[in-house]
Amino acid sequence: MKAFANEPTLELRRAPVRAQLADALAAHDARPPVKAPVWIGDERREGDELVSTDPGTPDRVVAEAAAATPGEVEAALALAAGAGARAWGATAAPRRAEILLAAAAWLRERRLEIAALEVREAAKPWPEADADVCEAIDFLEYYARGALDLMGGPPTAPLLQVPGERNELRWSPRGVVAVISPWNFPVAIPLGMVAAGLATGNAVLLKPAEQTPGCAALLVQALREAGVPPEALALLPGEGHVGAALVKDPRVHTIAFTGSNQVGLEIVRAAAETPGGQRHLKRVVAEMGGKNAVIVDADADLDEVVPGLVSSAFDFAGQKCSAAARVLCHEAIHDALVERLAGAVEGLEVGQAERLSTDVPPVIEREAQERVARYAAEARASGRIAAQAASVPDTGWFAPPTLVAELPEDSPVLTEEIFGPLLAVERVRDVAAACDRLDASPFALTAGLYARNPDTVEYVVERVPAGNLYVNRAITGAMVARQPFGGNRLSGTGTKAGGPGYLLQFVEPRVVTENTMRHGLVV
Amino acid sequence: MVQEQALERELLAVGGELAAALPAPSRNPLKLADEKALELASQDAELKAALFRFVDVVPACRSLDDLARHLTGFLGEVEEPPPPISAALRMGANRAGRTALGAAAARGVKHMAHRFIVGESPREALGVFRELWKGGVASSVDLLGEATVTQAEAQRYAERCDDALATLVGAMAGWPARERLETDTFGPLPRANLSVKVSALTPLLRADAPERGQRDAATRLRGLLRRAHELGAHLHIDMESLDSRDAVLELILELLAEPEFRDGPSAGVVVQAYLRDSPQTVDTIVEWIAAAGAARAHPLTVRLVKGAYWDHEIVEAAQHGWQAPVFEVKADSDLNFEALTRALVDHRRDGCGLRPAIASHNLRSVAHAIAYNRLAGGSDADVELQILRGLGDPLQEAIASLGLRVRAYCPVGDLVAGMAYLVRRLLENTSNDSFLQEQARGVPVEALLARPVSSSAA
Repeated sequence: MKAFANEPTLELRRAPVRAQLADALAAHDARPPVKAPVWIGDERREGDELVSTDPGTPDRVVAEAAAATPGEVEAALALAAGAGARAWGATAAPRRAEILLAAAAWLRERRLEIAALEVREAAKPWPEADADVCEAIDFLEYYARGALDLMGGPPTAPLLQVPGERNELRWSPRGVVAVISPWNFPVAIPLGMVAAGLATGNAVLLKPAEQTPGCAALLVQALREAGVPPEALALLPGEGHVGAALVKDPRVHTIAFTGSNQVGLEIVRAAAETPGGQRHLKRVVAEMGGKNAVIVDADADLDEVVPGLVSSAFDFAGQKCSAAARVLCHEAIHDALVERLAGAVEGLEVGQAERLSTDVPPVIEREAQERVARYAAEARASGRIAAQAASVPDTGWFAPPTLVAELPEDSPVLTEEIFGPLLAVERVRDVAAACDRLDASPFALTAGLYARNPDTVEYVVERVPAGNLYVNRAITGAMVARQPFGGNRLSGTGTKAGGPGYLLQFVEPRVVTENTMRHGLVV
Repeated sequence: MVQEQALERELLAVGGELAAALPAPSRNPLKLADEKALELASQDAELKAALFRFVDVVPACRSLDDLARHLTGFLGEVEEPPPPISAALRMGANRAGRTALGAAAARGVKHMAHRFIVGESPREALGVFRELWKGGVASSVDLLGEATVTQAEAQRYAERCDDALATLVGAMAGWPARERLETDTFGPLPRANLSVKVSALTPLLRADAPERGQRDAATRLRGLLRRAHELGAHLHIDMESLDSRDAVLELILELLAEPEFRDGPSAGVVVQAYLRDSPQTVDTIVEWIAAAGAARAHPLTVRLVKGAYWDHEIVEAAQHGWQAPVFEVKADSDLNFEALTRALVDHRRDGCGLRPAIASHNLRSVAHAIAYNRLAGGSDADVELQILRGLGDPLQEAIASLGLRVRAYCPVGDLVAGMAYLVRRLLENTSNDSFLQEQARGVPVEALLARPVSSSAA
């Protein structure tokens, strides 16, 4: 097998490459809405109880989904815990890897079609949608290899062996994985979690975000067509109660979740229970919220800082768990930074995700639009709006990108996750003071530092608890195998998606020691 | 058809003449110190990185102490520091030592900067331009600036360009005539020559979506073209990284074709020979000259350069998993440079309205352009040679002394603004296979003039 390499994104700086996008979108628009069925074993029940719409044009229906009923959830669990886990778990690791690679190839062949769906269903701008598809492919390729290393090699490899005994460390699938996924990386994140579960031989039940069931249906189709047996992977679109039912069910072994802090904490609580009949402890892999800050030291190059911050805070309207929400800027350059940043924010183009010139697309739904507006009003009341993009389209869930400054230290704008295009700049005495503020936060997902003195960089690396710290660059865009991704503290369970240890969350270790000495003879 | 052997013979002759005309090496001790620092850096990758990062951060340092802390911070990462570096590190251990070290380092960087940057403003640099002119060297002025991230910054850059045009034209009008520098077969050449960057004229130029930035830059670029036309100056549109290449070329060719600019100004574009697809760029330009550009009164100057963003292009492509858009082997760039030189000279000879400007500080590349043009039947006046200030000053003198037209590309601006530029130039100057390094190491002229060997021939 070839060594892992990231799937190259489209080279959109070349005009002929850009020209393909319009065709892909036209082809997408010419098709009827995507059907996201409740898909259990060979049963596909279509429906339209849930409908996803284009956030930029809310009367455009993108996908129609059936919502899983309690009976369907039960049926899915029974199948997964029975035949699903048994048959798939017994499939040889190399065969499972082969199937995941076939799914990667399936996505690769349809990458523009899938990206077009993301453009419509999540209002994800083209470059980001393309990157999401590439990341999905990366997860398949990476976890296929990882699972093979873990479960396909000689089980004696990592253990110390002494004469007269044979020690084996074997990894077995845990059983059933419930995946509860968000809408913001609508293919890559669910597929990453699903792929980790499948690669390690678990049966998987996917409950996707209600905003993006179309993307979820496509990724399940990719895996099914690649050869994942029907009983090993179910799609259960629905509202929160579907996820809640999965989380508390005694047949579920591992819960892989990416989403809000509130839901994540509920899952951790519920998963700690051991209802009657449950003979195991559930494991939770949770990626939750953040309040990500970028520290800017006095020696930073503002030519680099301004574009880096604008991209980190406003790309995809700030709707990434890794996006920058706060800037902690050394007082010596605070005013200069705010002035240049303000000028850059005023020039941002707010518009439809399908347009390549759009800098800031709409947010996902009305509730998000209202939430961003509430925090902007709060910032206006207690601080200063340093800049706001001039105009936004009237239809669609648009939120103007906003830069705020001079807020009181305890402002909710500085402490609560907004998940939208709002960036707050804070003045700090020095880098140590910035670290103190950062350390006061319960979150530790991503963080950034712009500083050029190596001693300062080392100081901040030592002090910042974030799961991913980016130095002198934008703080979003983690790549599989290059920047394993995940947060610490209340931001997550410390597991790193796309990193070397991730698959260990989905397997059970068993050590077998055999005495090879018999009547004084090593046999 | 020029025979290859005849070309190599003529090239050797021209190159030999140029080499013989090179001025004796400088005895200026400060200049020697520069050379020494660059030589140290070119031998040790870690040290090179440390010194570049230091040079880059100098304008952002707030005191001599701060400066010294940065310097020792960077040098501390060099694993086996040579003796002068260890001495610097020891100085950084206390406050008095740091002040002295900071002051010395600041002086060093400032001196180095002056080698490449001729003054803080065009007005301040007029004396340099005048001296160059008197010595038989024309100039093109490049205004260094911070990156443009806001509309206000784009506006300020456009205003600086506007002022520069007026300042240069005003001052240069009174200079003595230099026939060779201001006329070719096509006719008169403007004395005032300004190089501008489209990325500085708009904060909106995005690689993935060039149209909006093009529209925004067009307004300011039209203003500059109008001004250059009024004043009779030449406006040259620089090239930066591949991210903006197509957008910049498309924009300037579109504007020059507008009826308003039919009668002027004299203008120019750049072709970067390190780009694998640069021959297509030449084709695009030549096709434009034959079509939309045919109605223009002025021929289009085409400056051929090797390209200054090599590391950036290589890294960006590697990080994205793209094929590198540049030749990875220097000899391939050099060969392409020669091929494009011949293409431009041929088009010129065949009646295309373009003025080739061959920009290189590589002895062979320069000799090749002169030799080929002669053998192809051109007049020396029809090929301009361009040299970057600070990188090829002796060669520029040699070219001028042979009676050929040479123009120095002169960056102007303050230290803060100039740092990115300076670091790029230093990188070029210390890369191990650079012509300058070879020359400094005393490689014989015949070897410097040898034909580059293509990587695919090896």
